Amino acid sequence: MNDTFHILIIEDEKNIASFISRILKSNGYKTTTVYSGTEGLSAAASRCPDIILLDLGLPDMDGVSIIEKVRTWSSCPIIVISARTHESDKVSALDLGADDYVTKPFGASELLARIRTSLRHSNRLRTETGLFLRPYHALGLTIDFTGRRVTLDDTEIHFTPIEYKIVAYLAQNSGKVLTYAAIMQNVWGPYITDDTKILRVNMANIRRKIEKNPASPQYIFTEVSVGYRMLETESMSC
Amino acid sequence: MNRPYMKNDLIFTLFILTVCTALSFVLFHLVPENNTNVVLVYILSLIIISRWTQGYKYGVFAALFCVIVVNYCFTYPYFKLNFTLSGYPVTFLEMITIALITSTTTSRLVEQSSIIAERERQLAEAEKEKMRANLLRAISHDIRTPLTSIMGAATSLMNQDSTCTDKERAELAAHIYDGSEWLLHMVENLLSVTRIKNNSQSLKMNPEIVEEIVSESVERIQKRIPDASIHIEIPGEVLMIPMDAILIEQVLINLLENALTHSHSTQPIDLIVDHNENFVVFHVIDYGIGINESEITQLLNGTFDNSTLTVDSQKGMGIGLSICKTIIDAHGGAITAVNHDTGAEFIMHLPKGEIT
Repeated sequence: MNDTFHILIIEDEKNIASFISRILKSNGYKTTTVYSGTEGLSAAASRCPDIILLDLGLPDMDGVSIIEKVRTWSSCPIIVISARTHESDKVSALDLGADDYVTKPFGASELLARIRTSLRHSNRLRTETGLFLRPYHALGLTIDFTGRRVTLDDTEIHFTPIEYKIVAYLAQNSGKVLTYAAIMQNVWGPYITDDTKILRVNMANIRRKIEKNPASPQYIFTEVSVGYRMLETESMSC
Repeated sequence: MNRPYMKNDLIFTLFILTVCTALSFVLFHLVPENNTNVVLVYILSLIIISRWTQGYKYGVFAALFCVIVVNYCFTYPYFKLNFTLSGYPVTFLEMITIALITSTTTSRLVEQSSIIAERERQLAEAEKEKMRANLLRAISHDIRTPLTSIMGAATSLMNQDSTCTDKERAELAAHIYDGSEWLLHMVENLLSVTRIKNNSQSLKMNPEIVEEIVSESVERIQKRIPDASIHIEIPGEVLMIPMDAILIEQVLINLLENALTHSHSTQPIDLIVDHNENFVVFHVIDYGIGINESEITQLLNGTFDNSTLTVDSQKGMGIGLSICKTIIDAHGGAITAVNHDTGAEFIMHLPKGEIT
């Protein structure tokens, strides 16, 4: 790594901010810490961070509105830090353009993993050269997007067109949590209702085809009340 | 007495008097030879008015009205007031008396029933207060234990004791971590209680796929207890039932954690899901020491009475389970515990509900 990644931490709780910053520094990232939303916005504009870590519960402004503002001029990855009680906040943050979230309290390894994933995704966006068509591969599962073929341990798996669309969308965003609404709009189009039942049933069927035991999945994980997350692809080199 | 009330009483009185006068005219013309009926109708109206209005004045007013109207309309000479009829003062007194007695009785009745209601409310309040106090006592006891170990370990670390080896230091840090993890678990349980608030209407019920909830709970428990081994069995068909996902997850986590930490056994525990016509049934089965028979009902009855539990000094098992019961009750389900030959089993029923 010739230039270190710069991470902006927007968090009003000083203890937590210093703990996050310590972890990140010891892992070779450069950090800037600000303690309020207004400072955060100006730092995001002036410092051009590679990643923003954003606490949703800020004293001076709603974290969600910060995402909205940043998204008007930057596609810099935003990872939301939130308390477990606010599922709806997480969903709206993700739908507004946050890339991922961690739930308080979180461990160092979890945070670092999320940051790596987000950095990889932002890289992929920047160097758009057909990387999207690179096949997904994790454990025994391979998805060839050009041939629309899914194989599990070398046996081909047959999906309905809808099921394939869901799996392909999750696989193209592997490692990231995708909200129910985002998946539904991508698969069924923008006029689909809010009722997630149809997606859940399709997901249950997909799991029956690719997971050995649907109750302890290896590939597609549930984030209760938020959405789904697919195991990170192994072929991504960074 | 507030104004609209008075207005309502007045309207009521006038309405009854009008109805009864109309009725009297009809009776008077249908059966002219017997006008006792008329007097009885007026007495009835008097009782009705005294009974359903506040205070005496409407009753007295109605009595006065009745006497005059009866005199004016229904006694000879018709449509003339004549107070010289023999016995007339007696009729008048009788009517006033009826009105007064009825009004008095009624007001006393109203007063008494309001006193009773007030007393009942106070009793319910006291009961709730007692529950809350018990819960708080149990919680503070349970929170103090991990806090003691956290503060103790932190103090030792802060003192920078030169005799402290790296290994000991790591051990102390691990104690701090364990303690705080336990506190987090506790806080999550308490949060669940606030989500339920008072009734099942405040639950966020959504149709959820059973296996998703199961897998997420198991995943979270394995994050906390990495060497937990849990054997899961779920039915082949897709089961979707209405529930508050976060709460049911909390229940499963509590049950699994209890099975892992209190069974004193290293055998894998079973989490088996099956279903019948109306319910989805979750079984959490461990192969350990089982539960003390006398404690089974106590564990689940939600009284939070810590003093009667054999104090398993570290983990407040009682709170976790009564929270489970509260959650399941709010879902219209049931949770029971039994001992089997080689351990304990918790069975939880959740209604399938109508999902179209």
